[in-house]
Amino acid sequence: MTVFGGALLGAMHASVTPLSATASAGATLDSWRALFADPAFEDSIAFTVKLAVVTTLATTGCALAVALMLRSRGTALRALASLPVPVPHLLVAVAAVLWLAPGGLADRILGGLPLELVRDRHGIGIVLVYVYKEAPFLVLLLLAAMGRELAEREEAAAVLGASPAQRLRWVVWPTVRGPLVMGAIVVCAFVLGAFEVPLTVGPNYPVTLAEYASQATQNDVLTGESLAAAALLFTAIIAIALAVIAVRFAKDPQGA
Amino acid sequence: MLLAAFFALPLAVLVVRAFADSWRAPALVPQQFGLRGIREAFSGIALDAFASSLVVAVIGTAIAVAVGWPAARVLGERRLRRPGAVFVVLAMPLLVPSYATGNGLTEWLLRLNLADSITGLVLAHLVLVLPYVIVVLLSAFGPRVTVLEDMARSLGLTPLQRWRWVTLPAVAPTLAAATFLGFLVSWSEYGSSLAVGGGRELLPVILLPFVRSDPQIASALALLFLAPAIAALVVAARAARSPL
Repeated sequence: MTVFGGALLGAMHASVTPLSATASAGATLDSWRALFADPAFEDSIAFTVKLAVVTTLATTGCALAVALMLRSRGTALRALASLPVPVPHLLVAVAAVLWLAPGGLADRILGGLPLELVRDRHGIGIVLVYVYKEAPFLVLLLLAAMGRELAEREEAAAVLGASPAQRLRWVVWPTVRGPLVMGAIVVCAFVLGAFEVPLTVGPNYPVTLAEYASQATQNDVLTGESLAAAALLFTAIIAIALAVIAVRFAKDPQGA
Repeated sequence: MLLAAFFALPLAVLVVRAFADSWRAPALVPQQFGLRGIREAFSGIALDAFASSLVVAVIGTAIAVAVGWPAARVLGERRLRRPGAVFVVLAMPLLVPSYATGNGLTEWLLRLNLADSITGLVLAHLVLVLPYVIVVLLSAFGPRVTVLEDMARSLGLTPLQRWRWVTLPAVAPTLAAATFLGFLVSWSEYGSSLAVGGGRELLPVILLPFVRSDPQIASALALLFLAPAIAALVVAARAARSPL
Protein backbone atom coordinates (compact mmCIF):
# COMPACT_ATOMS: atom_id res chain seq x y z
CA MET A 1 0.00 0.00 0.00
CA THR A 2 2.97 2.26 0.69
CA VAL A 3 4.28 1.58 -2.79
CA PHE A 4 0.83 2.26 -4.24
CA GLY A 5 0.52 5.52 -2.30
CA GLY A 6 3.99 6.50 -3.45
CA ALA A 7 3.05 5.68 -7.04
CA LEU A 8 -0.06 7.87 -6.82
CA LEU A 9 1.93 10.72 -5.31
CA GLY A 10 4.55 10.25 -8.02
CA ALA A 11 1.87 10.44 -10.72
CA MET A 12 0.33 13.57 -9.14
CA HIS A 13 3.75 15.17 -8.87
CA ALA A 14 4.57 14.32 -12.48
CA SER A 15 1.26 15.76 -13.69
CA VAL A 16 2.05 19.20 -12.23
CA THR A 17 5.80 19.34 -12.94
CA PRO A 18 6.43 19.02 -16.67
CA LEU A 19 10.10 18.94 -17.70
CA SER A 20 9.47 22.06 -19.82
CA ALA A 21 8.73 24.16 -16.71
CA THR A 22 11.66 25.95 -15.11
CA ALA A 23 12.75 24.73 -11.69
CA SER A 24 11.81 28.04 -10.08
CA ALA A 25 8.31 27.93 -11.57
CA GLY A 26 7.23 25.13 -9.19
CA ALA A 27 4.00 23.26 -9.73
CA THR A 28 1.83 24.18 -12.68
CA LEU A 29 -1.51 23.00 -14.03
CA ASP A 30 -0.39 23.49 -17.64
CA SER A 31 -0.59 19.78 -18.43
CA TRP A 32 -4.13 19.51 -17.09
CA ARG A 33 -5.16 22.59 -19.10
CA ALA A 34 -3.53 21.20 -22.25
CA LEU A 35 -5.27 17.90 -21.66
CA PHE A 36 -8.77 19.32 -21.51
CA ALA A 37 -8.10 21.63 -24.45
CA ASP A 38 -7.20 18.68 -26.66
CA PRO A 39 -10.15 17.37 -28.76
CA ALA A 40 -8.35 14.01 -29.09
CA PHE A 41 -8.49 13.63 -25.31
CA GLU A 42 -12.25 14.24 -25.32
CA ASP A 43 -12.64 11.59 -28.01
CA SER A 44 -10.49 9.25 -25.91
CA ILE A 45 -12.70 9.75 -22.85
CA ALA A 46 -15.88 9.04 -24.84
CA PHE A 47 -14.34 5.99 -26.55
CA THR A 48 -12.88 4.52 -23.34
CA VAL A 49 -16.02 4.99 -21.25
CA LYS A 50 -18.18 3.56 -24.06
CA LEU A 51 -15.88 0.52 -24.30
CA ALA A 52 -15.87 -0.01 -20.54
CA VAL A 53 -19.65 0.25 -20.15
CA VAL A 54 -20.50 -1.91 -23.19
CA THR A 55 -17.89 -4.53 -22.26
CA THR A 56 -19.02 -4.68 -18.63
CA LEU A 57 -22.71 -5.03 -19.54
CA ALA A 58 -22.01 -7.64 -22.24
CA THR A 59 -19.66 -9.59 -19.96
CA THR A 60 -22.00 -9.63 -16.96
CA GLY A 61 -24.98 -10.60 -19.17
CA CYS A 62 -23.08 -13.48 -20.79
CA ALA A 63 -21.61 -14.62 -17.48
CA LEU A 64 -24.98 -14.66 -15.74
CA ALA A 65 -26.58 -16.65 -18.59
CA VAL A 66 -23.71 -19.18 -18.72
CA ALA A 67 -23.56 -19.55 -14.91
CA LEU A 68 -27.32 -20.22 -14.73
CA MET A 69 -26.92 -22.79 -17.52
CA LEU A 70 -23.89 -24.50 -15.93
CA ARG A 71 -24.86 -24.55 -12.26
CA SER A 72 -26.59 -27.92 -12.49
CA ARG A 73 -24.01 -29.40 -14.91
CA GLY A 74 -20.92 -31.50 -14.21
CA THR A 75 -17.43 -30.31 -13.43
CA ALA A 76 -16.12 -31.09 -16.95
CA LEU A 77 -18.34 -28.43 -18.53
CA ARG A 78 -17.44 -25.95 -15.79
CA ALA A 79 -13.74 -26.60 -16.41
CA LEU A 80 -14.22 -26.01 -20.15
CA ALA A 81 -16.03 -22.74 -19.53
CA SER A 82 -13.17 -21.54 -17.34
CA LEU A 83 -10.52 -22.40 -19.96
CA PRO A 84 -9.80 -18.75 -20.93
CA VAL A 85 -9.20 -17.67 -17.31
CA PRO A 86 -5.44 -18.52 -17.23
CA VAL A 87 -4.89 -17.21 -20.75
CA PRO A 88 -3.32 -13.70 -20.78
CA HIS A 89 -5.35 -10.92 -22.43
CA LEU A 90 -2.65 -10.22 -24.96
CA LEU A 91 -2.70 -13.81 -26.13
CA VAL A 92 -6.46 -13.70 -26.75
CA ALA A 93 -5.94 -10.45 -28.66
CA VAL A 94 -3.31 -12.13 -30.88
CA ALA A 95 -5.75 -14.99 -31.57
CA ALA A 96 -8.49 -12.43 -32.36
CA VAL A 97 -6.27 -10.80 -34.99
CA LEU A 98 -5.53 -14.19 -36.59
CA TRP A 99 -9.27 -15.00 -36.74
CA LEU A 100 -11.05 -11.70 -37.27
CA ALA A 101 -8.69 -9.35 -39.14
CA PRO A 102 -9.25 -8.74 -42.86
CA GLY A 103 -7.79 -11.83 -44.58
CA GLY A 104 -7.96 -13.73 -41.30
CA LEU A 105 -9.33 -17.23 -40.84
CA ALA A 106 -12.99 -16.19 -40.35
CA ASP A 107 -12.75 -14.02 -43.45
CA ARG A 108 -11.35 -16.97 -45.45
CA ILE A 109 -13.91 -19.49 -44.15
CA LEU A 110 -16.96 -17.25 -44.65
CA GLY A 111 -15.69 -15.56 -47.83
CA GLY A 112 -15.86 -12.12 -46.21
CA LEU A 113 -17.04 -10.72 -42.88
CA PRO A 114 -20.18 -8.52 -42.84
CA LEU A 115 -18.43 -5.87 -40.73
CA GLU A 116 -14.96 -4.86 -39.63
CA LEU A 117 -14.06 -6.42 -36.30
CA VAL A 118 -10.37 -5.63 -35.92
CA ARG A 119 -9.10 -2.04 -35.77
CA ASP A 120 -12.66 -0.82 -36.39
CA ARG A 121 -13.65 2.65 -35.23
CA HIS A 122 -16.23 1.34 -32.73
CA GLY A 123 -13.86 -1.08 -30.99
CA ILE A 124 -16.03 -4.17 -31.60
CA GLY A 125 -12.92 -6.38 -31.66
CA ILE A 126 -11.84 -5.01 -28.27
CA VAL A 127 -15.25 -5.80 -26.76
CA LEU A 128 -15.21 -9.34 -28.23
CA VAL A 129 -11.75 -10.06 -26.79
CA TYR A 130 -12.75 -8.79 -23.34
CA VAL A 131 -16.05 -10.71 -23.29
CA TYR A 132 -14.26 -13.94 -24.29
CA LYS A 133 -11.60 -13.38 -21.62
CA GLU A 134 -13.60 -11.88 -18.73
CA ALA A 135 -16.95 -13.70 -18.89
CA PRO A 136 -15.41 -17.03 -17.70
CA PHE A 137 -13.82 -15.17 -14.74
CA LEU A 138 -17.26 -13.86 -13.74
CA VAL A 139 -18.82 -17.30 -14.32
CA LEU A 140 -16.37 -18.77 -11.77
CA LEU A 141 -17.30 -16.07 -9.23
CA LEU A 142 -21.02 -16.67 -9.79
CA LEU A 143 -20.80 -20.47 -9.60
CA ALA A 144 -18.85 -20.19 -6.34
CA ALA A 145 -21.57 -17.90 -4.94
CA MET A 146 -24.41 -20.15 -6.10
CA GLY A 147 -23.27 -23.36 -4.41
CA ARG A 148 -25.57 -26.08 -3.08
CA GLU A 149 -27.41 -23.83 -0.61
CA LEU A 150 -28.95 -21.80 -3.41
CA ALA A 151 -30.49 -24.91 -4.99
CA GLU A 152 -32.02 -25.82 -1.62
CA ARG A 153 -33.44 -22.31 -1.17
CA GLU A 154 -34.84 -22.39 -4.70
CA GLU A 155 -36.49 -25.74 -4.02
CA ALA A 156 -38.05 -24.33 -0.86
CA ALA A 157 -39.33 -21.31 -2.84
CA ALA A 158 -40.76 -23.62 -5.53
CA VAL A 159 -42.56 -25.67 -2.88
CA LEU A 160 -44.07 -22.42 -1.59
CA GLY A 161 -45.40 -21.73 -5.10
CA ALA A 162 -42.84 -19.24 -6.48
CA SER A 163 -42.67 -19.12 -10.31
CA PRO A 164 -39.28 -19.46 -12.10
CA ALA A 165 -39.21 -15.67 -12.65
CA GLN A 166 -40.01 -15.02 -8.99
CA ARG A 167 -37.29 -17.46 -7.89
CA LEU A 168 -34.81 -15.69 -10.16
CA ARG A 169 -35.77 -12.28 -8.75
CA TRP A 170 -36.12 -13.10 -5.05
CA VAL A 171 -33.76 -16.06 -4.50
CA VAL A 172 -31.06 -16.17 -7.20
CA TRP A 173 -30.49 -12.44 -7.75
CA PRO A 174 -29.89 -11.50 -4.07
CA THR A 175 -27.32 -14.33 -3.89
CA VAL A 176 -25.36 -13.43 -7.01
CA ARG A 177 -25.71 -9.62 -6.88
CA GLY A 178 -22.67 -9.07 -4.62
CA PRO A 179 -20.10 -11.14 -6.52
CA LEU A 180 -21.53 -10.00 -9.86
CA VAL A 181 -21.15 -6.31 -9.00
CA MET A 182 -17.69 -6.89 -7.52
CA GLY A 183 -16.58 -8.77 -10.64
CA ALA A 184 -18.17 -6.15 -12.92
CA ILE A 185 -16.27 -3.36 -11.15
CA VAL A 186 -12.97 -5.23 -11.59
CA VAL A 187 -13.74 -5.82 -15.29
CA CYS A 188 -14.81 -2.20 -15.86
CA ALA A 189 -11.71 -0.80 -14.14
CA PHE A 190 -9.46 -3.15 -16.09
CA VAL A 191 -11.00 -2.13 -19.43
CA LEU A 192 -10.64 1.56 -18.53
CA GLY A 193 -6.93 1.25 -17.77
CA ALA A 194 -5.48 -1.58 -19.86
CA PHE A 195 -4.07 -0.97 -23.29
CA GLU A 196 -2.50 -4.15 -24.63
CA VAL A 197 -5.84 -5.25 -26.13
CA PRO A 198 -6.73 -1.85 -27.69
CA LEU A 199 -3.17 -1.60 -29.07
CA THR A 200 -3.55 -5.01 -30.70
CA VAL A 201 -7.11 -4.98 -32.04
CA GLY A 202 -8.26 -1.37 -31.55
CA PRO A 203 -8.46 1.50 -34.06
CA ASN A 204 -5.73 4.06 -34.66
CA TYR A 205 -8.31 6.76 -33.81
CA PRO A 206 -9.98 7.26 -31.40
CA VAL A 207 -7.62 5.66 -28.89
CA THR A 208 -8.27 4.65 -25.29
CA LEU A 209 -7.09 6.89 -22.44
CA ALA A 210 -4.16 4.58 -21.63
CA GLU A 211 -3.10 4.60 -25.31
CA TYR A 212 -3.44 8.39 -25.31
CA ALA A 213 -1.10 8.56 -22.31
CA SER A 214 1.38 6.20 -23.93
CA GLN A 215 1.37 8.22 -27.17
CA ALA A 216 1.86 11.45 -25.20
CA THR A 217 5.12 10.14 -23.71
CA GLN A 218 6.37 9.19 -27.17
CA ASN A 219 5.30 12.40 -28.93
CA ASP A 220 6.83 14.99 -26.60
CA VAL A 221 9.86 14.39 -24.40
CA LEU A 222 9.39 17.61 -22.40
CA THR A 223 5.69 17.61 -21.57
CA GLY A 224 4.68 14.05 -22.50
CA GLU A 225 5.29 12.41 -19.11
CA SER A 226 3.32 15.12 -17.34
CA LEU A 227 0.45 14.93 -19.84
CA ALA A 228 0.42 11.12 -19.54
CA ALA A 229 0.31 11.26 -15.74
CA ALA A 230 -2.62 13.71 -15.85
CA ALA A 231 -4.50 11.53 -18.37
CA LEU A 232 -3.93 8.40 -16.28
CA LEU A 233 -5.01 10.09 -13.05
CA PHE A 234 -8.16 11.24 -14.82
CA THR A 235 -8.75 7.61 -15.91
CA ALA A 236 -8.38 6.52 -12.28
CA ILE A 237 -10.96 9.12 -11.22
CA ILE A 238 -13.42 7.78 -13.83
CA ALA A 239 -12.81 4.19 -12.65
CA ILE A 240 -13.42 5.09 -9.00
CA ALA A 241 -16.54 7.14 -9.88
CA LEU A 242 -17.99 4.25 -11.93
CA ALA A 243 -17.22 1.82 -9.08
CA VAL A 244 -19.04 4.05 -6.57
CA ILE A 245 -22.05 4.33 -8.90
CA ALA A 246 -22.08 0.54 -9.41
CA VAL A 247 -21.96 -0.16 -5.66
CA ARG A 248 -24.80 2.32 -4.98
CA PHE A 249 -26.85 0.95 -7.86
CA ALA A 250 -26.41 -2.61 -6.62
CA LYS A 251 -27.57 -1.91 -3.07
CA ASP A 252 -31.04 -3.24 -2.34
CA PRO A 253 -33.67 -1.18 -0.48
CA GLN A 254 -32.82 -3.05 2.75
CA GLY A 255 -29.27 -1.77 2.42
CA ALA A 256 -27.63 -5.15 1.78
CA MET B 1 -18.59 -30.25 -27.69
CA LEU B 2 -19.83 -26.90 -28.97
CA LEU B 3 -18.65 -25.19 -25.79
CA ALA B 4 -15.28 -26.96 -26.03
CA ALA B 5 -14.90 -25.79 -29.63
CA PHE B 6 -15.94 -22.24 -28.73
CA PHE B 7 -13.25 -21.94 -26.07
CA ALA B 8 -10.47 -24.07 -27.57
CA LEU B 9 -10.58 -23.24 -31.32
CA PRO B 10 -9.71 -19.55 -31.07
CA LEU B 11 -6.52 -20.46 -29.24
CA ALA B 12 -5.67 -23.55 -31.31
CA VAL B 13 -5.00 -21.32 -34.31
CA LEU B 14 -1.97 -19.91 -32.47
CA VAL B 15 -0.29 -23.33 -32.62
CA VAL B 16 -0.88 -23.69 -36.37
CA ARG B 17 0.23 -20.09 -37.11
CA ALA B 18 3.40 -20.49 -35.01
CA PHE B 19 4.52 -23.37 -37.26
CA ALA B 20 3.32 -21.86 -40.57
CA ASP B 21 6.23 -20.36 -42.48
CA SER B 22 3.85 -19.47 -45.29
CA TRP B 23 0.07 -19.02 -44.95
CA ARG B 24 -1.25 -16.65 -47.59
CA ALA B 25 -4.95 -15.85 -48.11
CA PRO B 26 -7.31 -17.34 -49.17
CA ALA B 27 -5.81 -20.74 -48.21
CA LEU B 28 -7.40 -22.38 -45.17
CA VAL B 29 -4.27 -24.40 -44.42
CA PRO B 30 -0.66 -23.18 -44.47
CA GLN B 31 1.29 -23.58 -47.72
CA GLN B 32 4.48 -24.37 -45.82
CA PHE B 33 5.24 -25.45 -42.28
CA GLY B 34 8.52 -24.58 -40.58
CA LEU B 35 10.30 -23.54 -37.42
CA ARG B 36 11.15 -19.91 -38.25
CA GLY B 37 8.74 -18.55 -35.62
CA ILE B 38 9.89 -20.94 -32.94
CA ARG B 39 13.57 -20.17 -33.65
CA GLU B 40 12.86 -16.43 -33.28
CA ALA B 41 10.79 -16.99 -30.13
CA PHE B 42 13.66 -18.89 -28.54
CA SER B 43 16.30 -16.38 -29.59
CA GLY B 44 18.32 -14.25 -27.16
CA ILE B 45 16.06 -11.24 -26.60
CA ALA B 46 12.85 -13.27 -26.26
CA LEU B 47 14.44 -15.76 -23.88
CA ASP B 48 15.86 -12.93 -21.77
CA ALA B 49 12.38 -11.38 -21.59
CA PHE B 50 10.89 -14.78 -20.73
CA ALA B 51 13.42 -15.28 -17.90
CA SER B 52 12.85 -11.75 -16.55
CA SER B 53 9.06 -12.23 -16.64
CA LEU B 54 9.36 -15.54 -14.82
CA VAL B 55 11.69 -14.18 -12.12
CA VAL B 56 9.50 -11.11 -11.54
CA ALA B 57 6.29 -13.19 -11.38
CA VAL B 58 7.74 -15.83 -9.03
CA ILE B 59 9.40 -13.36 -6.64
CA GLY B 60 6.42 -10.98 -6.73
CA THR B 61 3.94 -13.77 -6.00
CA ALA B 62 6.09 -15.22 -3.20
CA ILE B 63 6.34 -11.81 -1.51
CA ALA B 64 2.61 -11.17 -2.00
CA VAL B 65 1.72 -14.50 -0.37
CA ALA B 66 4.12 -13.94 2.54
CA VAL B 67 2.90 -10.37 3.15
CA GLY B 68 -0.71 -11.13 2.29
CA TRP B 69 -1.06 -14.15 4.61
CA PRO B 70 -1.30 -12.23 7.94
CA ALA B 71 -3.46 -9.52 6.35
CA ALA B 72 -5.83 -12.13 4.88
CA ARG B 73 -5.96 -13.94 8.21
CA VAL B 74 -6.95 -10.78 10.13
CA LEU B 75 -9.60 -9.93 7.54
CA GLY B 76 -10.87 -13.51 7.22
CA GLU B 77 -11.26 -13.93 10.96
CA ARG B 78 -13.14 -10.59 11.13
CA ARG B 79 -10.80 -9.21 13.75
CA LEU B 80 -11.09 -5.63 12.43
CA ARG B 81 -13.76 -3.27 13.68
CA ARG B 82 -14.09 -1.45 10.38
CA PRO B 83 -13.08 -3.84 7.61
CA GLY B 84 -14.90 -1.72 5.01
CA ALA B 85 -12.17 0.93 4.99
CA VAL B 86 -9.48 -1.75 4.59
CA PHE B 87 -11.36 -3.29 1.66
CA VAL B 88 -11.62 0.13 -0.02
CA VAL B 89 -7.85 0.63 0.36
CA LEU B 90 -7.26 -2.90 -0.96
CA ALA B 91 -9.51 -2.28 -3.96
CA MET B 92 -7.85 0.99 -4.97
CA PRO B 93 -4.90 -0.55 -6.86
CA LEU B 94 -7.41 -2.61 -8.86
CA LEU B 95 -9.30 0.54 -9.87
CA VAL B 96 -6.29 2.66 -10.79
CA PRO B 97 -4.76 1.78 -14.20
CA SER B 98 -1.54 -0.18 -13.75
CA TYR B 99 0.14 2.09 -16.30
CA ALA B 100 -0.65 5.00 -13.95
CA THR B 101 0.94 3.18 -11.02
CA GLY B 102 4.00 2.32 -13.10
CA ASN B 103 4.21 5.85 -14.41
CA GLY B 104 4.04 7.28 -10.87
CA LEU B 105 6.67 4.85 -9.62
CA THR B 106 9.18 5.64 -12.35
CA GLU B 107 10.52 8.80 -10.71
CA TRP B 108 10.89 7.08 -7.32
CA LEU B 109 12.70 4.14 -8.87
CA LEU B 110 15.06 6.48 -10.70
CA ARG B 111 15.89 8.25 -7.42
CA LEU B 112 16.40 4.92 -5.65
CA ASN B 113 18.60 3.67 -8.48
CA LEU B 114 16.13 0.85 -9.14
CA ALA B 115 15.05 1.86 -12.66
CA ASP B 116 15.13 -0.99 -15.22
CA SER B 117 15.81 -3.50 -12.43
CA ILE B 118 14.07 -6.71 -11.39
CA THR B 119 13.47 -5.13 -7.95
CA GLY B 120 11.69 -2.16 -9.54
CA LEU B 121 9.50 -4.43 -11.65
CA VAL B 122 8.66 -6.64 -8.65
CA LEU B 123 7.64 -3.55 -6.65
CA ALA B 124 5.44 -2.29 -9.49
CA HIS B 125 3.79 -5.73 -9.92
CA LEU B 126 3.30 -6.15 -6.16
CA VAL B 127 0.93 -3.17 -6.13
CA LEU B 128 -1.46 -5.21 -8.29
CA VAL B 129 -0.70 -8.75 -7.14
CA LEU B 130 -1.05 -8.17 -3.39
CA PRO B 131 -4.76 -7.12 -3.38
CA TYR B 132 -5.70 -10.12 -5.52
CA VAL B 133 -3.81 -12.52 -3.25
CA ILE B 134 -5.34 -11.07 -0.07
CA VAL B 135 -8.91 -10.99 -1.43
CA VAL B 136 -8.73 -14.66 -2.49
CA LEU B 137 -6.78 -15.88 0.55
CA LEU B 138 -9.02 -14.30 3.21
CA SER B 139 -11.84 -16.72 2.36
CA ALA B 140 -9.65 -19.58 3.64
CA PHE B 141 -9.56 -18.25 7.20
CA GLY B 142 -12.40 -18.27 9.69
CA PRO B 143 -13.90 -20.35 12.51
CA ARG B 144 -13.15 -23.68 10.78
CA VAL B 145 -9.37 -23.14 10.76
CA THR B 146 -9.41 -21.59 14.25
CA VAL B 147 -11.22 -24.62 15.72
CA LEU B 148 -8.76 -27.03 14.05
CA GLU B 149 -5.80 -25.04 15.39
CA ASP B 150 -7.30 -25.00 18.92
CA MET B 151 -7.67 -28.78 18.78
CA ALA B 152 -4.05 -29.13 17.65
CA ARG B 153 -2.92 -26.83 20.48
CA SER B 154 -4.79 -28.91 23.05
CA LEU B 155 -3.01 -32.00 21.67
CA GLY B 156 0.34 -30.34 22.40
CA LEU B 157 1.54 -29.36 18.91
CA THR B 158 4.06 -26.51 18.76
CA PRO B 159 3.19 -23.38 16.72
CA LEU B 160 5.41 -24.57 13.86
CA GLN B 161 3.87 -28.06 13.92
CA ARG B 162 0.39 -26.57 13.97
CA TRP B 163 1.20 -24.41 10.95
CA ARG B 164 2.78 -27.33 9.06
CA TRP B 165 0.24 -30.07 9.86
CA VAL B 166 -3.01 -28.19 10.44
CA THR B 167 -3.16 -24.63 9.08
CA LEU B 168 -1.34 -25.22 5.80
CA PRO B 169 -3.36 -28.32 4.75
CA ALA B 170 -6.60 -26.60 5.81
CA VAL B 171 -5.99 -23.55 3.62
CA ALA B 172 -4.13 -25.38 0.81
CA PRO B 173 -6.85 -25.14 -1.90
CA THR B 174 -7.40 -21.41 -1.38
CA LEU B 175 -3.68 -20.76 -0.99
CA ALA B 176 -3.08 -22.55 -4.30
CA ALA B 177 -5.80 -20.46 -6.00
CA ALA B 178 -4.40 -17.20 -4.55
CA THR B 179 -0.84 -18.10 -5.57
CA PHE B 180 -1.96 -19.04 -9.07
CA LEU B 181 -3.96 -15.83 -9.49
CA GLY B 182 -1.04 -13.75 -8.18
CA PHE B 183 1.38 -15.40 -10.60
CA LEU B 184 -1.04 -14.91 -13.48
CA VAL B 185 -1.62 -11.22 -12.72
CA SER B 186 2.13 -10.56 -12.63
CA TRP B 187 2.90 -12.77 -15.64
CA SER B 188 0.28 -11.01 -17.80
CA GLU B 189 0.92 -7.47 -16.57
CA TYR B 190 1.61 -5.06 -19.40
CA GLY B 191 0.97 -1.47 -18.25
CA SER B 192 3.37 -1.20 -15.32
CA SER B 193 5.91 -3.47 -17.09
CA LEU B 194 6.03 -0.98 -19.95
CA ALA B 195 6.22 2.06 -17.67
CA VAL B 196 8.87 0.69 -15.31
CA GLY B 197 10.68 -1.88 -17.47
CA GLY B 198 12.56 0.50 -19.75
CA GLY B 199 15.76 -1.33 -20.57
CA ARG B 200 14.57 -4.62 -19.06
CA GLU B 201 11.62 -5.66 -21.21
CA LEU B 202 9.21 -8.39 -20.15
CA LEU B 203 7.64 -10.92 -22.50
CA PRO B 204 4.30 -9.16 -23.16
CA VAL B 205 6.14 -5.94 -23.99
CA ILE B 206 8.28 -7.56 -26.69
CA LEU B 207 5.37 -9.67 -28.01
CA LEU B 208 2.99 -6.85 -28.94
CA PRO B 209 4.92 -5.16 -31.78
CA PHE B 210 5.15 -8.50 -33.62
CA VAL B 211 1.34 -8.76 -33.94
CA ARG B 212 1.37 -6.24 -36.78
CA SER B 213 4.85 -6.92 -38.17
CA ASP B 214 5.12 -10.73 -38.08
CA PRO B 215 2.11 -12.84 -36.96
CA GLN B 216 4.16 -16.07 -37.03
CA ILE B 217 6.67 -14.80 -34.48
CA ALA B 218 3.80 -13.23 -32.48
CA SER B 219 2.05 -16.64 -32.39
CA ALA B 220 5.25 -18.45 -31.36
CA LEU B 221 5.86 -15.90 -28.61
CA ALA B 222 2.22 -16.26 -27.56
CA LEU B 223 2.77 -20.01 -27.06
CA LEU B 224 5.87 -19.23 -25.01
CA PHE B 225 3.72 -16.74 -23.08
CA LEU B 226 1.00 -19.34 -22.44
CA ALA B 227 3.23 -22.20 -21.25
CA PRO B 228 4.06 -20.98 -17.70
CA ALA B 229 0.44 -19.91 -17.13
CA ILE B 230 -0.75 -23.42 -17.94
CA ALA B 231 2.07 -24.96 -15.88
CA ALA B 232 1.08 -22.75 -12.93
CA LEU B 233 -2.54 -23.86 -13.33
CA VAL B 234 -1.53 -27.55 -13.25
CA VAL B 235 0.70 -27.04 -10.20
CA ALA B 236 -2.03 -25.06 -8.41
CA ALA B 237 -4.63 -27.74 -9.18
CA ARG B 238 -2.37 -30.47 -7.75
CA ALA B 239 -1.51 -28.39 -4.68
CA ALA B 240 -5.19 -27.74 -4.09
CA ARG B 241 -6.00 -31.46 -4.13
CA SER B 242 -3.28 -32.85 -1.91
CA PRO B 243 -2.51 -31.61 1.61
CA LEU B 244 0.87 -29.89 1.62
